[in-house]
Amino acid sequence: MRLSLNVNGMEHELDVRPTARLIDVLRLQLGLTGVKEGCSEGECGACTVIVDDKAVNSCLVLAAQARGKKVLTVEGLAGDDGLDLLQRMFIEHGAVQCGYCTPGMLMSAKALLMADPHPTEEAIRLALAGNLCRCTGYTTIVAAVRAASEPPAEPATPPPEPDREGGAV
Amino acid sequence: MVGAELLTPGGIQELTAALQRATPSSRLLAGGTDLIRSMHQSHWEPDLLIDLSGVRELDYVRLEDGMLRVGALTTFAELQADPLVRRHARCLAEAAAQVGSAQIRNVATVGGNIANASPCADTVTALVALGAEVRTIDGGGRTTTRPLTQITVGSGRTSLAPDEAIAEVSFAALGADQRTTFAKIGSRSTVTVARLSMALVVDYDADAMTLSGARVALGAVGEAAFRDPRLEELLEGRPANNESARLFAAGCTDAVRRAIPGRYSLPYKQHAAVGLAYNAWNALGLCDRCEPVWG
Repeated sequence: MRLSLNVNGMEHELDVRPTARLIDVLRLQLGLTGVKEGCSEGECGACTVIVDDKAVNSCLVLAAQARGKKVLTVEGLAGDDGLDLLQRMFIEHGAVQCGYCTPGMLMSAKALLMADPHPTEEAIRLALAGNLCRCTGYTTIVAAVRAASEPPAEPATPPPEPDREGGAV
Repeated sequence: MVGAELLTPGGIQELTAALQRATPSSRLLAGGTDLIRSMHQSHWEPDLLIDLSGVRELDYVRLEDGMLRVGALTTFAELQADPLVRRHARCLAEAAAQVGSAQIRNVATVGGNIANASPCADTVTALVALGAEVRTIDGGGRTTTRPLTQITVGSGRTSLAPDEAIAEVSFAALGADQRTTFAKIGSRSTVTVARLSMALVVDYDADAMTLSGARVALGAVGEAAFRDPRLEELLEGRPANNESARLFAAGCTDAVRRAIPGRYSLPYKQHAAVGLAYNAWNALGLCDRCEPVWG
């Protein structure tokens, strides 16, 4: 079937199998291999992408169900001026070990920060509960998300910085 | 493999037209978190797949004449956050909040949870305690309403006809003199499938500090979530105190024994029922925190 899909801000006209999962179309037809397949059943979160501002397991939705919606993958996180703040914080905090869970972690964290720019640590852990890291590097991952979401320290700081996160927000 | 045909109705009229073509080998797709996984793992495809996710008019929560009406396509994330649900059916909001991960709650729907008919479906346990009814629509455009417990007839089995789609669940909105909660036990604290779940709705006379009535639903014990009348009678008229909590917990153990006699999981679940009963009891906030006496 014909499918119009908006991925990382670009419109694609695709010919897809009606039952193709979103992950299959993203990886195999669009070459967006930052989307990882782990468990194929919604446990591990490695395949997490953002659909209309919400984190979604791309192994559990059909590509056709994303018709008319905006899909954001890890490849779309960086803006023209470089990596997203979240990505930079992951690097700075050593939140990447083998790296397989990282794209999914980033997308879950990004969806959280889009909805709640200053989440509590509990909210961060809940938002990442559907993303498994088998290297068990959770502490640094949570620290990276905290750093990317840190509210400006109180009165003494200058007015809020302009949006540094490129076009992804 | 012959590829399934996919229909994507954009409204109720297109939905009924699509349903006319449904056969016993067809499937309705809502959030997809159960169906797509099972299709992928079994390499099985239906002859016809009807994607309900475009029928946006089935995504709502409304309070009408004391009834809370929830559209079948309402997601768990929406249920969890909805002010009407939190106020008038808190056990349902709590159940929705404990389903899977954020990713799953963002797409999985209450209608899908019912139609998938898993014995451990969290929102079904809550809806059974709320005494929910389910309105369906079929290929002829006919709507019918029946109790939820007549839809979920067994593990993975429903009374839904191939051309019948769930449109709405509804139940009496809980008032100020009612307390409610949902509790579950799984193999880990979050993103877990219930090994045992419970939803409680009690009528509470705050002046007399007495429970004047109770509805108790148990999930993940046996084929489908159910209410246990003996357990409910046991709570009726009881004062809100530690002794009642103890009786309730013992009653929950008995209810589990009655539900799954001889099942391999019984030794674990009859014990787990005590902890779950105390968790639920304490969450109602009727009296000082009660703790089970183990041993």
